[in-house]
Amino acid sequence: MSVNIQLGVPTQPEPEDRPDAVVGKSQGRLIFERFLQNRISVVSLVLFVLVIVFAFSATGFGPIPGWWKHSFTSLNAQAGAPSLSLWPFSLGDHPFGQNRIGVDYFALVMRGIQNSVIVMLVIGGLGTVVGTVIGAIAGYYRGWVDAVLMRITDVFIVIPAIVIGAVVGQTAGSSGLGVWVLSILLALVSWMSIARLVRAEFLSLREREFVEAARVAGASDMRIIFKHILPNAVGVVIVSATLLAASAILLETGLSYLGYGIRPPESSLGLLISDNQSAFSTRPWLYWWPALFIVGLALLVNFVGDGLRDAFDPRQKRFKRRKMREITDTVAKRS
Amino acid sequence: MTNTNRWARRSAAAVAAAGVTALVLAGCTTGGTEGGDDAAEGGTITVAVTNEVTSLNGSTPQGNLDTNGMVGYLTGTTGSSGGASLGGFYTLDEEFNIVHNDNIGTYEKTADDPLTVEYKLNDGLKWSDGEDITADDLLVGWAIGSGYYNDATLDEATGEPTSGTQYFQLAGSTDGLDTTAMPEISEDGLGLTLVYGEPFVDWELGNLLDKPAHVLAEQAGVTEEEFIQVLMDTPKGDPANPVEPNETLKAAADFWNTGYDFTSMPTDESLLVASGPFIMSDYTPNQSMTFSKNPEYTGEDVPAYDELVLRFVPDANAQVTALQNGEVNAIYPQASADTLTALENANQTVIEGDQLSYDHLDLNFGSEVFADANVREAFLKTIPRQQILESIITPINPSAEVLNSQIFVPANTEYTDAVAASGYDAYAEPDIEGAKELLAGATPTIRILYNTDNPNRVDSFQAIQASATEAGFIIEDAGSPDWSSLLPGGEYDASIFGWISPGAGNSALAQIFKTAGGGNYNKYSNAEVDEMVDAAQTELDPEALGQLKVQIDAATAADFYGLPLFQSPGLFATNGTVDGIEFFGNQTGIVWNAQDWTIAE
Amino acid sequence: MASFILRRIAVSVLILLAASFIMYVLAANSGDPLRDLRGGNPATEAQLIAARTAALDLDVPAPLRWFLWLGGAAQCLIPFANSCDLGLTLNNAEVATILPSAMLSTLQLVTVATLSAILLGVVVGIVTALRQYSGFDLTITFVSFFLFSLPSFLVAVLLKEFIAIGFNNFLQQGGAIPAVTVIVIAIVAGLIWQVLIGGPLRRRLTVFAISAVATGVVLGYMAVSEWFQNPGLGPVGILVGVAVVAIVTTLLVSGLGNRRALTTAGISAALAFVAYFALQGLFDISSVWTLLFVFLATVVVGLAIGWLLGGPDRGQSMRAGAITIGVSMVLVFLDRFMQSWPDYVNSSRINGRPIATIGSQTPGFNGDVWLTGIDSFTHLLLPTIALLLISFAQYTRYARAGLLEVLNQDYIRTARAKGLPERTVVMRHAFRNMLIPIATIVATDVGALLGGAVITERVFAISGMGNLFATSLGRTDLNPVMGYFLVIAIVAITFNFLADLAYAALDPRVRVR
Repeated sequence: MSVNIQLGVPTQPEPEDRPDAVVGKSQGRLIFERFLQNRISVVSLVLFVLVIVFAFSATGFGPIPGWWKHSFTSLNAQAGAPSLSLWPFSLGDHPFGQNRIGVDYFALVMRGIQNSVIVMLVIGGLGTVVGTVIGAIAGYYRGWVDAVLMRITDVFIVIPAIVIGAVVGQTAGSSGLGVWVLSILLALVSWMSIARLVRAEFLSLREREFVEAARVAGASDMRIIFKHILPNAVGVVIVSATLLAASAILLETGLSYLGYGIRPPESSLGLLISDNQSAFSTRPWLYWWPALFIVGLALLVNFVGDGLRDAFDPRQKRFKRRKMREITDTVAKRS
Repeated sequence: MTNTNRWARRSAAAVAAAGVTALVLAGCTTGGTEGGDDAAEGGTITVAVTNEVTSLNGSTPQGNLDTNGMVGYLTGTTGSSGGASLGGFYTLDEEFNIVHNDNIGTYEKTADDPLTVEYKLNDGLKWSDGEDITADDLLVGWAIGSGYYNDATLDEATGEPTSGTQYFQLAGSTDGLDTTAMPEISEDGLGLTLVYGEPFVDWELGNLLDKPAHVLAEQAGVTEEEFIQVLMDTPKGDPANPVEPNETLKAAADFWNTGYDFTSMPTDESLLVASGPFIMSDYTPNQSMTFSKNPEYTGEDVPAYDELVLRFVPDANAQVTALQNGEVNAIYPQASADTLTALENANQTVIEGDQLSYDHLDLNFGSEVFADANVREAFLKTIPRQQILESIITPINPSAEVLNSQIFVPANTEYTDAVAASGYDAYAEPDIEGAKELLAGATPTIRILYNTDNPNRVDSFQAIQASATEAGFIIEDAGSPDWSSLLPGGEYDASIFGWISPGAGNSALAQIFKTAGGGNYNKYSNAEVDEMVDAAQTELDPEALGQLKVQIDAATAADFYGLPLFQSPGLFATNGTVDGIEFFGNQTGIVWNAQDWTIAE
Repeated sequence: MASFILRRIAVSVLILLAASFIMYVLAANSGDPLRDLRGGNPATEAQLIAARTAALDLDVPAPLRWFLWLGGAAQCLIPFANSCDLGLTLNNAEVATILPSAMLSTLQLVTVATLSAILLGVVVGIVTALRQYSGFDLTITFVSFFLFSLPSFLVAVLLKEFIAIGFNNFLQQGGAIPAVTVIVIAIVAGLIWQVLIGGPLRRRLTVFAISAVATGVVLGYMAVSEWFQNPGLGPVGILVGVAVVAIVTTLLVSGLGNRRALTTAGISAALAFVAYFALQGLFDISSVWTLLFVFLATVVVGLAIGWLLGGPDRGQSMRAGAITIGVSMVLVFLDRFMQSWPDYVNSSRINGRPIATIGSQTPGFNGDVWLTGIDSFTHLLLPTIALLLISFAQYTRYARAGLLEVLNQDYIRTARAKGLPERTVVMRHAFRNMLIPIATIVATDVGALLGGAVITERVFAISGMGNLFATSLGRTDLNPVMGYFLVIAIVAITFNFLADLAYAALDPRVRVR
């Protein structure tokens, strides 16, 4: 027996439950509109995309050169402190300052964002795909397939993410492999919670009439899984993907901090903090810029995830103010 | 009736409960308060150090770590392999000159040919457990340091003895002492005379006070007299004719090899026996080690306080915060510019200096690209040594200078002569034009090996890469966290790494510069240099020795051996609660004058 | 039930075996355990490598070596044989001997952090759910998102820099609080209280005024009377404390309308107050076990009073009595700890700066249970905070979401409709069901906290298991890594198991098969 009720990501509401369904809009459209109503989440999403575009374009990506004048590896004459000034606004030569040996810190931070975002997206994406497939198959077929897959999940879930991440990171690092390999390896050990959620979802969805109808119509198992059930479970998948992505960026920073993540001369936000933690009280900008972006990125992703959750499952919002006042009044009367 | 019965039963239960309560309470209370902690009157000094203690014997290969060395220095049973200690025959001063330790005894050279050294212990010395320190202990120290009884033939590849027995496993070498004959013990049982088979340059480093004879004897299951008799009777080992190992000697050696390693406070107090002013009194794994005064110590290095605590804090920032917060009185962190500034911002007293280790760039003479001397010279001309120094070392030590010798440091008197002879000072700034001329349009590819986990090496590499590329070199990054295992392999053209020197002695010369020397990773070979190195090992005249070393330095420079980069900086700091802390650059580090510290009022 | 437990245990053992195999092979291939020996002194290098290879069986391929390791580890199952063989570290230390001491500080840290996180998280979560969309709710929502996004080492460094050094400076400088600070804290406290109590504007204003003034006065008094140097609750503080405890407990457990419960709580509180005077002598010679015994004994007394006075609804009274007297005794203990505070702070090893930034105890510090207790407290306070903040955020979110979900259920509507008081609705019907998801989170969260301890211990230089793991992994020191894994895997599996049981207990729909 294993129990799978997750209240943070509640089960898919039934379509007829939804009062706005009568308007006749498609479900996707409804969700999209509800998401747009959540201003914080929309702003977060926009900001998140902007930061990524900014970071990737600044130092260039792969063969494409960036628009920023300094590279993250070349040394410059030492100037030290950030030249950024907000009023009157001017960037100066090294807006984020320079590190110990004179590398432009803006370039380093942007490169760090790139790598951290790559890790985040690969873990969020690949981890979600693997988790979804495993969860879907387990939940759909039940029986021994389910038992075997879920025991495998249990095996991996026993080991805390940072522990197995450190082991994997150590392997990737000591064999000199880059950020892509690291993040793919990390993704392969971060799919477990999604697999569990998707399985629970499938267990309940597979009993529905529309699945039965598809089966009677002669649809193949794969078709039922991916065309009929999965679209109904997409809410759970997307919401947990954002949560996974948010925790991935923290996992990467934690690993780099311990020395098991991305290694120099490459850059990552966690690595920058770890390298410069001794600069905390002396050259605080070396510490605070990467810290700002770690917290910022994680916060933005979390807000987007929160907006998505509300959009997919609006039930939590229906606890109305009026009702709340009733409760407070009764509590007040009683006490 | 029922009512009274119920009450009777209830009161009986209550009485029983009260009785049990009283019993339990009596059982699990303590004898009374001790009224706070038991810190003694003279006070405690706490010092944060980076690494853990793992063994009370720092002379074995696995025990040869810096903090173990500190423990040996304070408690004084280091032996000839462990070197200077407060409880041994010599210590080192700030300039790394050997200072004979009068608190223990005297030793002097009485003849040059054959080289004869006389050791004499002070009368009335006692180990911390009350046993006398006698020439028997010196004989044991000699037996350990000379490898006299070893008859093992070691397999080149695995290091396993293919025949015979290797008794005491030393981190250092037995060079020098291995030529001595069985020593003679004087009539009064306090003196010992060593006769060397050939002259030995470092005879002054022969500290014969190792672990106590009576402790090793006890561990081998014999009395001290029997043990000494075994030492005297066992013939010198001959690898050509290995014999059955001597059981007693083997048992004692096995204990010496591993018995002093520990992970919790040893229950066997004989392990703690000390000859120096301090004795280990408490140990919390991974946290701290406490030393108190050795009650039997009669010398002058008695500390003015009661307890010295070493706390193991790996993280330099944690050390700084702890110092600032008063949890420790002094710290010995890994030096970095940020640590220094953090300390200065927190208004702590910083004591800076140069450590006896230096980073250097070596060219691999086994690689094809450097077979041409012009390419070697051209490459060396591109190294921006001044820039590397300024970006890495100057922030920590503003008065630091580029190191211009592979053998001496500026504190040595021979340094100026060596620089004049080798001409390393010409390489301070890169000479890109000169390098281009020498290359004559060629664009050799250079693979540079370095430790990617060491930020200083990464920075050096990046600076060299940027500069050498300008002259037309193609620099490949061959850096790896596994650099040390790649070092002997030779799959690189140049390497950046560091040597650590003990400060006194000349054993490094043969290791590094002699053909096929153990530390000669870059396959350097020059018959003339080999000869000079051999001559230096048996040179007893300090003046002539200095000249030889200057010549070796110059000869290697003429072959474009490589370039010394900088001497690593070191720093200690205190929050003003301790007086008397002074800088010292070898591995003993901050505790080198712990006996002179005082608690500030 | 028994067959369920047996089957669960069998499956857990299999999971443990499989996970340890994966971990072993992965960790073995993550690096070179001989790296530190290579390139060293060539005279001894080959010898050392040979010795280590022999000691750690490095010549056996990792998947096979796992069986050797398993063979040794299996001996730990033999009770009292003391034959545990978890292998050697690279330094030739027995893992089985270094693990227990490392385990102690980590488990201490994780246990305290978990319990405080659950308690705080659930309470704050409930309040935010009941006051949905209030300023308090929005603030907490934002704060918890912020905490979610904060790397724990960042929190740890900030705590050290500002709380430890700041508070110690504050103590050393005489404990004077600037007037501005007092006013700010008072206003913030007032704001929080008025949201919590709620109601119409006028009532909120009154609550705000009263709580702000009360906070200000208390803070001011503490500063003037040098309370921070010589803290203590004193008889008056204890009296007020136990009275509040009695009333609040009764309110939550049964409502003040239940006179029997109220009387039970009152008597329990009075007994605790008497105990405060009666037990001071015993406290001076107490050990940890004495205190534990006293605590349990008083709880039994509380239960007994409830049983005697409870009447028809004994359960409620017994609960009220036990909780009241338990919490009150904690207050009494707290007061005794505070009495020892000046001794601790002025001891020669502390030198007036109590809050520590490194380690888990002051080296060489000896004293009675109160002083060593304070010593542990001052060392573990900051790491615990750093550790609990993140899971606190999680519990808050889940408790809030859970309660909101439950409050929307039909049976709650029914309960309200039939006129049950709101307290009963929330405490009896909603609370219990809200705990169901929390139980599952606890299981996964313990694993996350054990992982988080790896970083926290590193920052605070605590030599726990996490630190052992992090340093050992760096050297590819396999046996301590596996020792660490064994402990956390067993803890994680145990908690998963307990969560399932708790689940069954809380939710009758979940049949235990």
